[in-house]
Amino acid sequence: MPPVATSPGATSRIVTELVCGFCGLGCDDLEVQVQGRAVRPRIACPQAAALLERSDGAPPLPRVAGRETSLEEAAARAGSLLAASRSAVFSGLGADVDGLRGVFDLAMRFGASFDHAASSGLFRNLDTLQRRGWIATTLAEVRNRCDLLVVVGADPTPDFARFFERALPAASGDPQESDEAPLFTNRAHPRRVVFLGDLAGPAARAALAGHDVTHSPVPPALLADAMAGLNAFVDGRSVKTLGGAFDGALGAALAELAGALRAARYAVFTWNAGALDPAEGERIVGHAAAMVAKLNETTRAAVFPLGGRDNLIGAHQMALWRFGYPLRTLVAHGEASHAPGLYATSRAVRDADLLLHVSAFRPDAPPAFSSGPLIALAHPHTEFPREPDVFIPVGTPGIDHAGQVFRMDSVVCLPLVKLREAGLASVAQAAAAILQAGRAP
Amino acid sequence: MRVRITNGRIFDPASGMVDLLGNVLIEDGRIVADDPALRADETHDAAGCIVMAGGIDLHSHIAGGKVNLARLLMGEDRRAHPEPFGAFCGCGGGNAAPTTHVTGCRYSQMGYTAVFEPAMVGANARHAHLEMADIPNIDTGGFLVLGNDDFLLRLIAQGESQTAINDYVAWMLSATQTCAIKIVNPGGISAFKFNARSLDLDEAGPHYALTPRRVLQSLQRAVTELGIPHPIHLHGCNLGVPGNVATTLSTIGATEGFPLHLTHVQFHAYGTEGDRRFSSGAAEIAAAVNANPHISVDVGQIMFGQTVTASADLMAQYRNHSIASPNKWVGMDIECDAACGVVPFAYRDTSFVNALQWAIGLELFLLIEDPWRVFLTTDHPNGGPFTSYPHLIRLLMDRDFRAEQLARLHKAARAHTNLVELKREYTLEEIAIVTRAAPARTLGLKDRGHLAPGAIGDVVLYADMADREAMLSWSARREPERGRDPRQLRRSLSHGGHAARHHRRHATLGAHRRRVADGLRHFGDRLWLRGGDRGGNRAGGLARRAAGHIRAHLRHVAEGSEEDRPGAGRPMRADRPHLRLLCRHRRGAARAARPGFALFR
Repeated sequence: MPPVATSPGATSRIVTELVCGFCGLGCDDLEVQVQGRAVRPRIACPQAAALLERSDGAPPLPRVAGRETSLEEAAARAGSLLAASRSAVFSGLGADVDGLRGVFDLAMRFGASFDHAASSGLFRNLDTLQRRGWIATTLAEVRNRCDLLVVVGADPTPDFARFFERALPAASGDPQESDEAPLFTNRAHPRRVVFLGDLAGPAARAALAGHDVTHSPVPPALLADAMAGLNAFVDGRSVKTLGGAFDGALGAALAELAGALRAARYAVFTWNAGALDPAEGERIVGHAAAMVAKLNETTRAAVFPLGGRDNLIGAHQMALWRFGYPLRTLVAHGEASHAPGLYATSRAVRDADLLLHVSAFRPDAPPAFSSGPLIALAHPHTEFPREPDVFIPVGTPGIDHAGQVFRMDSVVCLPLVKLREAGLASVAQAAAAILQAGRAP
Repeated sequence: MRVRITNGRIFDPASGMVDLLGNVLIEDGRIVADDPALRADETHDAAGCIVMAGGIDLHSHIAGGKVNLARLLMGEDRRAHPEPFGAFCGCGGGNAAPTTHVTGCRYSQMGYTAVFEPAMVGANARHAHLEMADIPNIDTGGFLVLGNDDFLLRLIAQGESQTAINDYVAWMLSATQTCAIKIVNPGGISAFKFNARSLDLDEAGPHYALTPRRVLQSLQRAVTELGIPHPIHLHGCNLGVPGNVATTLSTIGATEGFPLHLTHVQFHAYGTEGDRRFSSGAAEIAAAVNANPHISVDVGQIMFGQTVTASADLMAQYRNHSIASPNKWVGMDIECDAACGVVPFAYRDTSFVNALQWAIGLELFLLIEDPWRVFLTTDHPNGGPFTSYPHLIRLLMDRDFRAEQLARLHKAARAHTNLVELKREYTLEEIAIVTRAAPARTLGLKDRGHLAPGAIGDVVLYADMADREAMLSWSARREPERGRDPRQLRRSLSHGGHAARHHRRHATLGAHRRRVADGLRHFGDRLWLRGGDRGGNRAGGLARRAAGHIRAHLRHVAEGSEEDRPGAGRPMRADRPHLRLLCRHRRGAARAARPGFALFR
């Protein structure tokens, strides 16, 4: 529980060392002011600030076909719709661990396929991870060990605002004396950051000031080929043997980078798979993993895939431990069957007769769907293109109720705290109410 | 509520009752002395049954990040073991890397009631607890992996006092809600992060210049001084390396009288004799264990077939990744805390090395004389899935069956083992010891592993069959009879071995453990966000407080119950505090509310 300081004579209080569950980095040094139902962020990245902000106004009530009603009635309606469905699809899955338990319970009770809203990058990574595997690392290892970071593709800062700040903190005047000092890198081994793909934006450049930053710009469509070239260089091939494909400045830069990778003590490849070119994403990830495998024969290296907003990793982990398969799995007809092509939300909704959308972290509208009822367990500010048949506004973990979310590196699970009482049900409570309604005769 | 089980053949070596016809009386979930005057609400005739306490597996990788990575890699295994027919409960499947629900069902169907995840990495503890909360039917607990965490290595390298180390260990146990300390390749996992490829017992590792011996001894002292019931649970140096028998013998020599548990010792019992430079070191290890009463082992028997190896020892897993089958593997450096490596593997009886590994494990079982110091494990899933235990038990109990199996092995392997000369056959009493009584004793669980008054009502009835494999396996009649829930008892008896209990919904499970996970201290950024020092100060302060609690509790225990304790002066393990950290599962509201459940919080 973070320390809570209450200012004298007012109901306003400051909550410090707050854990953030939004983007998946799991920053835990946020600060907010809470007064009644209002939440005002004081220390937070822009994305977290926007998602934490709450007014003092009363949240909306549950609705059935646009009519305001109670949670029980909405849950009863949702239960009867689910009971009548034959091919339900659960989308979004933006919920804390307890909420996901409830959603998976619903899938087991009524039969449904499920997928998370942010899973496209995860599945680009799984294409390599599940078929061939890789050597990965976690945030603390990057921070304390990494001496060469290769950022592949887009600058991740817009999605993961504080990644560079936290993974590669600026060197201070006397790093050995500082709290911030990494354990195993020092001035004798300066850190190098290479952007392979897009250029670093101004925020990334600012965060990385003091590090040795270089750019090898490559257009997205050619990134996979550039990674193939780098892979070849890491493998010990020379420019000459590659048939002229890498004769230019890029080739020289890649060859130099390959040398630096081989010489590094702990090189790390990072990328935001969700932002990679859909046609080439799997190849890019595969090359990164292959290079890391090669480098580990003589030195140490690892991958650090970025991604995992809204507890994506929690949903991935829980699907694995409950059903033995990752997301994009159908649980129905007496078994679980995993078919990522078939049960990706965009594909699954085409055959669905009911859509249940879960989004507790942000007011994202459900995917377009018109061939059956829509049930939304969603952020109270969600604007629906089509009024859901059942809308249950749910609280946000870390604001309206306590909860647990996984960090993007899949190892650490973080506890979120409750900041305010706004009378919103959690996803877990909403799902339990629906399950209960479904059991009733 | 009283339940009486009558006319069973009772095997309860911890209470000295072996093969006695008798009754077991359970009152409100606890075993009480049977008194004919007490009327039972339910009576079950166990004629023709073997009656034992619930089984305890003290080393089985059932939950946490690496197990989930194993599930991810083992899609084929999952598809080959789908959900059973019948009413659907969404239970999942798998054999080498089963889902949580299948884990709980198969264990309970084999008569096990408590299982310990032996490698909980601190950074991953919350995940492991959340996952274990989804495992039905059995109690679960975890051992904390230390000995490669940079925080501890720094403490030792900077010459901090043993008190500071004890404080840190106490704080970590408290923060992660674990009940013992496991060391995996002491210093070696950290060394691999600095690109060292091996680290022997007396070799100084990179950066900290610490030897594994030093790390081991620091933590052994901490565990002893804190009064943790289970000794250091050691996965030693050089796992799987031919010739590692010398390292293992040196490790036993390095204990200086401190108790030590050597885990999956089969993987640490390899010599280099013979033309293939790979031989059995079982005789030497067994001789050393027999001569050193402070050493205990679990075997980590390998079983032929497909499995997956999941270990925190990335150094060793990296060495072996090229023989992965199917050919894929995952490695991960974790949070300045530990690491993990997951390598699918198929043990083949036509392989010389695998066949000899199989024989070495059995040699160890048969040559170590004291069954109270050897525990039955396959290091699930590393040596083989836990569902192969009944087969393993038959190998131990049936010499002819063993010889038959041996005859199928790789010829050269047969020539390298003296297994055929080992005439010993385990008795049912010894099986009850290695699967129940002894694990309970080493873990300090005084209300488990036996059927004396005061024990939890975990009673298992096995229909007595000559084929012990059939008798004990999950597809035979093997439901654990949990006296505290008579409905379950009735059902499994009336179903006579039908897997009725498989279909239990998740929704009714896990309510209790979830609270443990909720209550875990937040330590996501012990090193990551703030660098070492500030995190260290914070941890240090908490650690001091936690250790103070432990000492206060120990004093209380020592003062309060000294005279009624056998062997006064030598603290009885069962009285020590950490067993309270066992995460109880499905015990009902009354038990959950029992004071002292989480001592340090």
